[in-house]
Amino acid sequence: MAHQAHPYHMVDPSPWPLTGAVAALLLTSGLAIWFHFNSTILMTLGLVLLLLTMLQWWRDIVREGTFQGHHTPPVQKGLRYGMILFITSEVFFFLGFFWAFYHASLAPTPELGGCWPPTGIIPLNPFEVPLLNTAVLLASGVTVTWAHHSIMEGERKQAIQSLTLTILLGFYFTFLQAMEYYEAPFTIADGVYGSTFFVATGFHGLHVIIGSTFLAVCLLRQIRFHFTSEHHFGFEAAAWYWHFVDVVWLFLYISIYWWGS
Amino acid sequence: MAGRFLRACLTSTMQLRRNLTARPLHRAMATLKGIPTDEEQATGLERRALQALKLGKDPYSMLKPKEYAGTKEDPHIVPSTVNKRLVGCLCEEDNTAIVWFWLHEGPSQRCPSCGSHYKLVHHELPH
Repeated sequence: MAHQAHPYHMVDPSPWPLTGAVAALLLTSGLAIWFHFNSTILMTLGLVLLLLTMLQWWRDIVREGTFQGHHTPPVQKGLRYGMILFITSEVFFFLGFFWAFYHASLAPTPELGGCWPPTGIIPLNPFEVPLLNTAVLLASGVTVTWAHHSIMEGERKQAIQSLTLTILLGFYFTFLQAMEYYEAPFTIADGVYGSTFFVATGFHGLHVIIGSTFLAVCLLRQIRFHFTSEHHFGFEAAAWYWHFVDVVWLFLYISIYWWGS
Repeated sequence: MAGRFLRACLTSTMQLRRNLTARPLHRAMATLKGIPTDEEQATGLERRALQALKLGKDPYSMLKPKEYAGTKEDPHIVPSTVNKRLVGCLCEEDNTAIVWFWLHEGPSQRCPSCGSHYKLVHHELPH
């Protein structure tokens, strides 16, 4: 490569945006096929392609950033802007579901009985498992900050322990939510209450799973000595994302579980 | 013959030494408890940029460009890796048209429109 006089990363062509888009298409149409015709072939194909895309795209960026040194300070700044814009877009994604929830609940229609929760709906008790979930997510916010400070201070052992603890808390949250879904006395088909509840909390749960995956990749990279005490943006992005998921939960808890019950 | 051999030895040792500065220490991590620092592990362009910054140099133009008066005594310094560079002079801050001209190596040149002084300075990139 010729010597360059600028600090920017001239990226190589990559097939992963294309395979990722195809995976997304296969996954959505595969889900519809599953729901309507009870066949999981297309969805499985989509999931496999998605996993292959994630694996290889992540591998490529680790190579570029950690092993080839393309992530200079100005490149890191660009990655920061990118992550901030992405999380902002996610905020608006969830804003839509909150809008739907408040639209339906602030002035309940006569069909719902003119009340919220609608007539016949027995909501979940917000002071049982949902409160525990709030505590679990808040605790994971503490442990992820512990992990960050460990990395900055160069404490490898503590970084690995706290990051592992964060991921375990994430799994515990997902497990508790799955139990809640299983035992809920209403379903997604129970009118606007069921649809707003399961779409909002369901997408939040999906984001917890994505955040846990992101943190798990960071744990693997930490174990393999990828992060330095000054340069660990992959971890910082995962931590930002995790805090975002945490804040969304607080709003879900206060609005849907507590006020909405 | 002996002279040529000596010169070959000299250049190869020079190259070895030059490579040494760009190569990270092999997982030394002496400073912290198990997590390396950028000094120990950064590589490639990131390492070259950071090491230059540490020496107070900015070979990749990462910092805000310095400002000059543009007078004969204090001309605008234009770094270039070759012997000329295309310069765009704004002349006045609220101008909407940029005046483009080639700035060559040698004594300082003036903008054909406003007369600001520009001087080309050779810019060395770290290898």
